[in-house]
Amino acid sequence: MSFAIELKSITKRFGSFVANEDVNLAVERGKIHAIIGENGAGKTTLMNVLFGLLQPDEGEIWIDGEKKVLPNPAAAIAAGIGMVHQHFKLVPSLTVAENVFLGMEIRKGGLIDHAAQIRKTAELSKQFGLQVDPTERVGLLSVGIEQRIEILKVLARGARTIILDEPTAVLTPQESRELFQTLRGFVAQGMTVIFISHHLEEVMEVSDTVSVLRHGKNVASRPTAELSKSDLVQLMVGRLVSFDRLPRGPIAGKTVLEVEDLWCRDERQLQALKGVSFQVRAGEIVGIAGVAGNGQTELAEVLSGLRPSSHGRIKLAGRDITGRSAREIRAAGVGHVPGDRLVRGVDRNASIALNLLMGRQDQSPWSRHGIIDRTYLQQQTKALIERFDIRARSPESTAKSLSGGNIQKVVLAREFTGGADCLLIDQPTRGVDIGAQESIHAEIMRQRAAGKAILVISVQLDELIALADRILVMFGGTIMGEIAGDRVDEEEIGMLMAGVVPDPHSQTVDTV
Amino acid sequence: MSDRFDSLFGQTLAILFALGLGALVILTVDESPARVFVTLLNGAFGSPERIAGTLLQTTPILICGIAACISFRGGLFNIGIEGQLFMGGFAATLVGFSFNLPPVLHLALAMAAAIVAGMAWIAIPAFFRARYKTNEVVSTILANYVAILLTSYLTINWFKRPGGQSETPPILESAYLPELFSFSRLNWGLIIGLVLALAVHFFFTRTARGYAVSEMGANPKFAEYGGINIGKLTFLVLIASGAVGGLAGGVEALGVHHRFMEGFAPGFGFDGVIAALLANGHPIGTIFTALFFGALRSGSLLLEVDTTASREIITVIQALIILAVSAQITIRRKASDSTAGERRWKF
Repeated sequence: MSFAIELKSITKRFGSFVANEDVNLAVERGKIHAIIGENGAGKTTLMNVLFGLLQPDEGEIWIDGEKKVLPNPAAAIAAGIGMVHQHFKLVPSLTVAENVFLGMEIRKGGLIDHAAQIRKTAELSKQFGLQVDPTERVGLLSVGIEQRIEILKVLARGARTIILDEPTAVLTPQESRELFQTLRGFVAQGMTVIFISHHLEEVMEVSDTVSVLRHGKNVASRPTAELSKSDLVQLMVGRLVSFDRLPRGPIAGKTVLEVEDLWCRDERQLQALKGVSFQVRAGEIVGIAGVAGNGQTELAEVLSGLRPSSHGRIKLAGRDITGRSAREIRAAGVGHVPGDRLVRGVDRNASIALNLLMGRQDQSPWSRHGIIDRTYLQQQTKALIERFDIRARSPESTAKSLSGGNIQKVVLAREFTGGADCLLIDQPTRGVDIGAQESIHAEIMRQRAAGKAILVISVQLDELIALADRILVMFGGTIMGEIAGDRVDEEEIGMLMAGVVPDPHSQTVDTV
Repeated sequence: MSDRFDSLFGQTLAILFALGLGALVILTVDESPARVFVTLLNGAFGSPERIAGTLLQTTPILICGIAACISFRGGLFNIGIEGQLFMGGFAATLVGFSFNLPPVLHLALAMAAAIVAGMAWIAIPAFFRARYKTNEVVSTILANYVAILLTSYLTINWFKRPGGQSETPPILESAYLPELFSFSRLNWGLIIGLVLALAVHFFFTRTARGYAVSEMGANPKFAEYGGINIGKLTFLVLIASGAVGGLAGGVEALGVHHRFMEGFAPGFGFDGVIAALLANGHPIGTIFTALFFGALRSGSLLLEVDTTASREIITVIQALIILAVSAQITIRRKASDSTAGERRWKF
């Protein structure tokens, strides 16, 4: 058995954060090797190390049986490795052929030999079944075709091993199927493909071998045929060890949030939610579990008024709030802790005080007759810094000067103190250190005790087990099933997350 | 606080860089840079008349700069202030010579006309930006050409003063913006500009609406999440910016020229944009950068009399400042992008 790529004990750190820890990875020649893991598991970092974009702190890279040092992407390309990034780097005003040969133009007498470039592009396109018109301008083409051009660029540079970083994230299902066919064509011609994804279905469909990364470590490398989807989910999310279910009183009250047959589309105009229904009562925490990208983010956005729904109904305390603006939904009593806190949750360059003001700048006593009460803002900021244990030098410290956990506490301090009856919390502790995790969980439990209706979305199962009274599992934009928080069965959740409805009468799934 | 110091330091560096390279350019025409700079200073501040002359040049740059600040703070780029100024100047003049009204009322009406004309001139770019995210830089720049040529056409073909050059009849004295001193055309426009700068500064630092605009400029996704209606606020910010641009034209017409003619205001709108850029969108800072550009303009009048350098050296220095400022913006943006540790989960 010969390996195209071998990574030996790769470790990569960013400051105190370990992105890859002692990763061993052997990629067989002539195979499609999938690398799967949650967002933040270290997939992209590992591939950037292999492509010479990042230098490993420890470990070795072997290519075709030879040890290599790759100081930059040019060295990786010379060693026969090509990478297709998530974000394309094409010049829209140039033709397909010009883009393919950009930076390595074929010359004749000091001038670019356009005819030769067009001919070569057409040859490559034919050899590998990547249909393009070499003379067309890139700016006029669809995303699927742009990706083909990126792949052609890599091929034109002589790659024998091609890395694709989440290649299907921007494609329609039809385009994805065409891509998979192309990839199978590559390996049939003896090339090697490394395919990064967090979509189980794709990995099952297209790969020969799969490696699972979790928290920066390679936890398994197996032939795909030996694994079921629920095996993969369990490998991705890991054993449930870190958190215990937090103690709690009975659920207090009546239904606050009612969601009925909710549908919406994502940026690609594909259905992201396909008829989601559930209810959250006062003093109840409902958890939403699922592998990232199964509609959870879109659900939070629709509920908070940031994304339109195409069908269905949302009620808050009996009042219909479907289709209301973000402002109206806030005013109706919904607080939202967004999943991408650095993008939506804060203005990184503004002070803690000004970050706490967002959403209530028009309300008394924060402002009067349109003038902000700066004394009140200062007082409140100091009080909230104290109450939420935000570690900052002063109320004037900018958000970007804080750690991830403290930024999250700023967001919580704002959203939990706005008088909301319903809290939507997307990824409460993502990218947050253990100490902050515990205090954030304790704060969420306090909100539960105060009678708030709370929806917690998380890709970390152990977090949901710690917090939730009930867990709803999402897959493909629908709710696959519901599990009581005090009776969580790992296998059952794993199967639901993989889109399989468990059969109560048989135990068919082999455990890892 | 240190951020503010950094930016002040950076802007000073930008000006020094431009003056330094400008000196090299002066050397290439065999003139002494020291003599040129001394002449510029002398021309700008050498006597009460010259200081008044400098302030006279500063006024429209300041008001246009405030117009630019309003849009910059909202994350928008109104580069069409020149056009709004032409429309405002023309509208104010039209009211100024067409009606016969009591003094204060006439002036107020002419000013209002200037403001409305400025708003009208940015309304289309503002609507398309707010509704369809059409790039406002391009649309406002294009609107400039239409404004300059349209006012010129109207002046020559519809409102030309009989027997005169390409200019309208003079406005009536009842619509004059009063002068501040007997020895200069310097007028109340300067006071309007200063008050406006203070008011806009207050708006952005103390009011709820100003906070909303600032956050929209700093992080639109955060603002949207906080319930701010981005489309509506975008439209309003651009309209407000256009209103001040129109006002600048009104002040020029009613305070200085007392009529409208071809080449009514050579580049005040663009200078205002640069002054605001150099001040980092800060209205108080814009007072000083506008004064700097006003001094360059007014000092340059003496330049061709006393030295062999051309007045165009001023344009060179301005261009170098733009270069230095945009280089800084780019560098800062790159620096803030590479704070890798803060987005660790994206690896």
